[in-house]
Amino acid sequence: MPFPPAVAHALARVLGKSDVQDRVDRLEFHDTGHGFDLFGMNPEFIGLADAMSAPMYERYFRVASHGPEHIPAHGAGILAANHSGTLPFDGAMLWMDVLRHTNPPRVPRPVADYFVVSLPIVSTLFARCGVVGGTRGNARSLLEQGELLMIFPEGTPGIGKPFRDRYKLQDWRKGHCELAIRHRAPVIPVGIVGAEEQMPQIARIPVPGSPIPYMPIPATLVPLPVKYHIHYGEPLRFDEEFEPEDADDPEVVRSAALRVKEAVQALLDRGLREREGIFR
Amino acid sequence: MKSVLVTGATTPIGERLVRSLIADTRIDHVLATGREREEDALPFSRTSRLTYLQVDLRRSRRVRELLFGPARDLEVECVVHLAEHRSSYDSGPRIYQQNVEALRSILDLSDRHPTIHRLVLKSDAVVYRVSLDLPVLVTEDHPLAMDPQQPQYVRDRVEADLTACTRMGLVDCEIVVLRCAEALAPGTGSQLFEFLNAPVALRPFGFDPMVNVATIADLVDALELATHGHGEGVFNIPGYDTLPLSSAMHEWGTLGLPMFGSVIRPLYTIRHLATGSDFSYGINHHRMHYGLVLDGTRAREVLGYTPDHPVDWPVGGPIRPEE
Repeated sequence: MPFPPAVAHALARVLGKSDVQDRVDRLEFHDTGHGFDLFGMNPEFIGLADAMSAPMYERYFRVASHGPEHIPAHGAGILAANHSGTLPFDGAMLWMDVLRHTNPPRVPRPVADYFVVSLPIVSTLFARCGVVGGTRGNARSLLEQGELLMIFPEGTPGIGKPFRDRYKLQDWRKGHCELAIRHRAPVIPVGIVGAEEQMPQIARIPVPGSPIPYMPIPATLVPLPVKYHIHYGEPLRFDEEFEPEDADDPEVVRSAALRVKEAVQALLDRGLREREGIFR
Repeated sequence: MKSVLVTGATTPIGERLVRSLIADTRIDHVLATGREREEDALPFSRTSRLTYLQVDLRRSRRVRELLFGPARDLEVECVVHLAEHRSSYDSGPRIYQQNVEALRSILDLSDRHPTIHRLVLKSDAVVYRVSLDLPVLVTEDHPLAMDPQQPQYVRDRVEADLTACTRMGLVDCEIVVLRCAEALAPGTGSQLFEFLNAPVALRPFGFDPMVNVATIADLVDALELATHGHGEGVFNIPGYDTLPLSSAMHEWGTLGLPMFGSVIRPLYTIRHLATGSDFSYGINHHRMHYGLVLDGTRAREVLGYTPDHPVDWPVGGPIRPEE
């Protein structure tokens, strides 16, 4: 790893406020015996990421959380959110928001595209903060452990959507609903307002032979200081309607995914109506 | 009371297993085989319940003579097959005979053997494919490393594993395949041990995969449970310790030197030529990037196996050969 947990701990203490260490101390965490979970997550790195992201969360994007009481306090769950913004600040802000609005603090487990796992340093740092590669097996293991997954069903096409398509959900993948039905986990729809305007993308350059799908060319070098509004919807309890074996029925999964997509779109529409401007 | 045949009994795992079986009051007799001469093998006190034979399992006639000779006379009910070639750099037909053909002979003969009813094969986690698009926690249905470009060390282990799996249900003999985590001990054929057991270890820059490591004690426990169990199947046998590679290096006292993969491979080849070190980056390339942790749920539920013995991490640096 780039540096050991003790260094992460020291850096978090220097950079963060006292509440950061308090959250780290109260984290729910499946330690395999050496301070890491099965996928390499480590609480000291959670603290460091918390401390380093705090200025961005509190002062730059000024994240406002709406309906965080819908996040399950315990047990398996899936956060399904829209994805946008050229660079994944929306993922980082949602990760921070969940960490700060759950008691005891829960670390949502972002499910990343395969190429993220293949990136040197990034893959390791992300793993320390709870990110896992987007395989069905990884998601299954985490849900069986009662973890809270963070999934962006739009995937990479979502984060790279053109500015003209902001707040229009792209092709909505269905795997999260299959997992939710099979593992009887609630799906919490999440609408992230603000991120879709943070870094308008004007072009993309293919990078042959690279694990990165393309190199985005944004209109701004740094993200604009848009105000984030994160809206959590009522959990969709598919387990009350379906049996786990219904996850094998493509029609059931498709209709469930459509309901999640509609719920996220409704949250986005509400968020856009309620906000007073891109920067407010 | 039953008798057990242990092949590869002179390996560290085999030796410990034989010792444990002799202490087991449910076992009537242990027939142990190895390639070493009797006077050089099994350096612990012999009892009347132990018979050691020097047998070259690469020769099918010797296997036949073993199974339909001493094994039949001692009414061996269970064969625990541990014999496999341990060096990753060796290759060729003689290695294949030991790794695959010997097992094939034992399987063929066990089917029509009057007393053998159970075969336990110690396989390895190395049979599993490691890739960025595959899960970290590996269940028994995980894809195998079937790439023909793999070194013989891996190809042979996959073929032996599959050879046993394909006979399940087709022969009278019950077959149990244990896909074991690597035991961090010398002489076990562990690539991770070879990797760690050096003052400086070269690893890919920017990657720190999760690894699961076992101890000989845990593997012997699993082999004993499989010997006494009923039914057949494939089982992952994880170890107690699951940790990032960098933590394993830190615990072991090995200095990690991050480098680019294209440089690491030739450097390890040079190290092998210069020092005889058995670590092969070609075999472990993907394992040095992406995690692999065995899911032992099936072994726990069916065999009653849970790893209980953490690695006794050496304080103060690598284990030297004379130790």
